[in-house]
Amino acid sequence: MPIEDHTASAHKIAAFLKTLTTIGGLRLKYRITAGSGAADPDGLENREIYVELAGPDVPLLTERGGELLRSLEHVAAKIIRLEPDEHDKVSFDAENFKAIHARRLRLTAETAAERVRRAGQPYSFAPMSSRERRMLHLALRSYEDLETSSSGEGAARFVVLYPRGWQHDKAAPSPASNIDSNPGYRR
Amino acid sequence: MAKAENMQELVAEIARALVDDPSAVTVESVQRDENTVLKLRVAPQDVGKVIGKQGRTARSMRTILGAVSMKLHHRFTLDILEEDKNPATHAE
Repeated sequence: MPIEDHTASAHKIAAFLKTLTTIGGLRLKYRITAGSGAADPDGLENREIYVELAGPDVPLLTERGGELLRSLEHVAAKIIRLEPDEHDKVSFDAENFKAIHARRLRLTAETAAERVRRAGQPYSFAPMSSRERRMLHLALRSYEDLETSSSGEGAARFVVLYPRGWQHDKAAPSPASNIDSNPGYRR
Repeated sequence: MAKAENMQELVAEIARALVDDPSAVTVESVQRDENTVLKLRVAPQDVGKVIGKQGRTARSMRTILGAVSMKLHHRFTLDILEEDKNPATHAE
């Protein structure tokens, strides 16, 4: 379901950010784009509202793997009452931090695709967030001879890439065991 | 203390945006040594909204609070007080 009222939602997010920059003293500027202008040119994000942050305090947003950036994004999604499966309709970025990460994820996907084609064997990616898994599924959708699925539970959930028509009961790929690794691919 | 008042207001503003009943939101600050504890209370039916699935919303608010604490050079922690008898939604 699309966001009903882009303008009202954008205003709510602006009010939230204004609280942080005024009362909270964070030195950040923000630009909010809503509607078709917010679309991801790479098609990996389903976003309808795009928030771009800049300013001296950007390093606070991107340290520890972008923890604060994701926290702002999560609270903003809750403020505009998105259901958990709609959270990727709002996306925050700061000086292309996420865009660069997305590009890296796509390269990872391409490398893995080559490997599955060559080896004829499934390939398990490292555990990732639902947002990142979705980006992988989308990046790999164009490979018609391959297919993806997700395996594992909660924070350990990971994407598996198979040759199309692979018999899943034949040889299950080894589940990813380390949940602390950076998003990337693994044997 | 001005910093604590700012922080109280910040937490209250965010909480009011998250809940269905903003009039029930209160934030009290309690000084403990070097640390200021912010006690957030919301209407019982809104507790789940400020905590979130697997505590994710509460964790996000704490991350935001941590960043602002750093800017203000003062430690703040967030307590979400649950007064209903059924604290099944708490995950942290």
